[in-house]
Amino acid sequence: MGIPKRKSDIQIYKGKILTQRREELLNKITKSDSYLPDSVLHDDLDAGMLEFVTKNFIVISEGKKIPVIPKILTIQRWAQIMNTWEFSDDDGNLKVPFVGVIRRPDVQPGTNPSIIRTIPERLQFHYASVATWNGTQMGADIYKIPQPVPVDITFEVTIVCTKLRELNRFNKIILQKFASRQAYTIVKGHYIPIVMDKIEDNSPIDQIDGRRFYLQNYQFTMLGFLIDQEEFEVKPAVSRFFLMNEFAKNTNFQKKYINKRIDITVATFIADGMQTAFGVGESISMLFNVAINGLLQERDVDFFHIAGTSKITFASPPPEGSTVNVTYYKGRNSVFIDSYGKTLQVTTEYFDYNGSTLIFTLNNAIDSVVSLDINGLIQEEGAGFEITDEREITLQGTPVIGSRIGVTYLF
Amino acid sequence: MSNKLPITRLSKFFSDEDFSLQVQIGQEYLHGDINQKLVLYRVNRQKTDKDDVYGEVGQDEIKYFPPIEFNALVKVDAPKNSSYKSGMLRYLEPGNLVLSVYIKHLADLGVDIKYGDYIGYPESEDRIRYYTVTNDGKVTSDNAHHLFGYKPYYRTITCAIAQDQEFRGV
Repeated sequence: MGIPKRKSDIQIYKGKILTQRREELLNKITKSDSYLPDSVLHDDLDAGMLEFVTKNFIVISEGKKIPVIPKILTIQRWAQIMNTWEFSDDDGNLKVPFVGVIRRPDVQPGTNPSIIRTIPERLQFHYASVATWNGTQMGADIYKIPQPVPVDITFEVTIVCTKLRELNRFNKIILQKFASRQAYTIVKGHYIPIVMDKIEDNSPIDQIDGRRFYLQNYQFTMLGFLIDQEEFEVKPAVSRFFLMNEFAKNTNFQKKYINKRIDITVATFIADGMQTAFGVGESISMLFNVAINGLLQERDVDFFHIAGTSKITFASPPPEGSTVNVTYYKGRNSVFIDSYGKTLQVTTEYFDYNGSTLIFTLNNAIDSVVSLDINGLIQEEGAGFEITDEREITLQGTPVIGSRIGVTYLF
Repeated sequence: MSNKLPITRLSKFFSDEDFSLQVQIGQEYLHGDINQKLVLYRVNRQKTDKDDVYGEVGQDEIKYFPPIEFNALVKVDAPKNSSYKSGMLRYLEPGNLVLSVYIKHLADLGVDIKYGDYIGYPESEDRIRYYTVTNDGKVTSDNAHHLFGYKPYYRTITCAIAQDQEFRGV
């Protein structure tokens, strides 16, 4: 006899699993499409219990289902008549057998261990961040909810009948359902446990001259919780404006080494509107210039610097977002030696533009230009000016007549 | 059949003829003048199919002998407002039906009223209330049921209301 074949593809659980199952539960909980859970209040829990009884406690007797009164019975007299009229006889009395669900009016503080007494003071907690877009502005709403309030609700499910066989069937169904002492009902997507407490027989067996019937009570406690959407908070988070800034690098501090005959460093900062002191992180041996958005700043007026230190301190904070350039030489002393060992000197010459020519002749042979400014506005080599001869600089654009042109260069 | 023992304890003042006369006068009044009629539905306990364990029967499964009309003195107790469950599931039903029936009348009809039988009482022209016998009053060994201490002459039968699903006439 061969080994029995085993089926390996039996799909035991046909529902969704893992993330899909979580999404499915979330959709049930947030059925109203508000990204927040729907309220679960007393009447929702009562309706959940009623649905649980109606769906599960089905007893067939004499070929008919023993009716369950389709409402939670309260003390209001007319309400009972309204709710039971279809099961009543000519005298308005309920026809036996029937099943009724009675809720005790006193709802007690909950004992559900998963949510009992953990967070005091009804604090709000983050539930979700939901992106928003109003056509021009992108942002997010922060959804906050407090911890659900645990509640214990006691229900009594009562069967009134005239035959012991009906009692047996009803009892069997309940004991099977509560074989592990608890069962679950679903209230707006939440699984709510129901615990069976006790079974009581209140049949009026001592009444011999009156009508006789069986009456049994099954007491259950629903370990529910309250979620009240009136307590929810939806607050806008910081909105994001769509600003476009173009930077060479996405940092607020960078250094650039100009490939001259000596290493000249240009340190660049992005000002935040509050900062006045900027440090380059190394000793400045020779400070050539300091510029804000390309505009040269005057030493000891607009900014201050102590020779040999690394810090530049402005008299007032540069505007937020402005670019601060510090051009300096970091040698240990003010002696410039190029890569060939030749000693270099630095000087600044000034010219006044009279409109006659764009060519300016310097006093010394140019080793390299550190900076050239027109009325304090730094010009870029190759765009604002060119070195056209050994001692000659030619401006690429025409400045305003009377402009002051400063050239700092090594020679 | 056992021998009959004549009752002679009051024979100087109240003989069997006197007893029969009193009963006859009473029956003339009750059956003729008052004329309160009821219908007796006797359960045929032999032909009724019962549950093997509990002896219960389903709706409309009880078998009956042919109904018999009989006369009795009728007393209906006041209805009582009751509830199945501590103030919940209230019901209001007729009170018990208490009948006084001449023993001779039952003997003449050749019937007995037993515990569990049903009795119909026409409450109005268009409504008959059905009751089930909860005390068939077979024990009449008390002064009240004796005529001048001579011998029992009537039975007191107590009945409780029967709901529609239990019995609603044959």
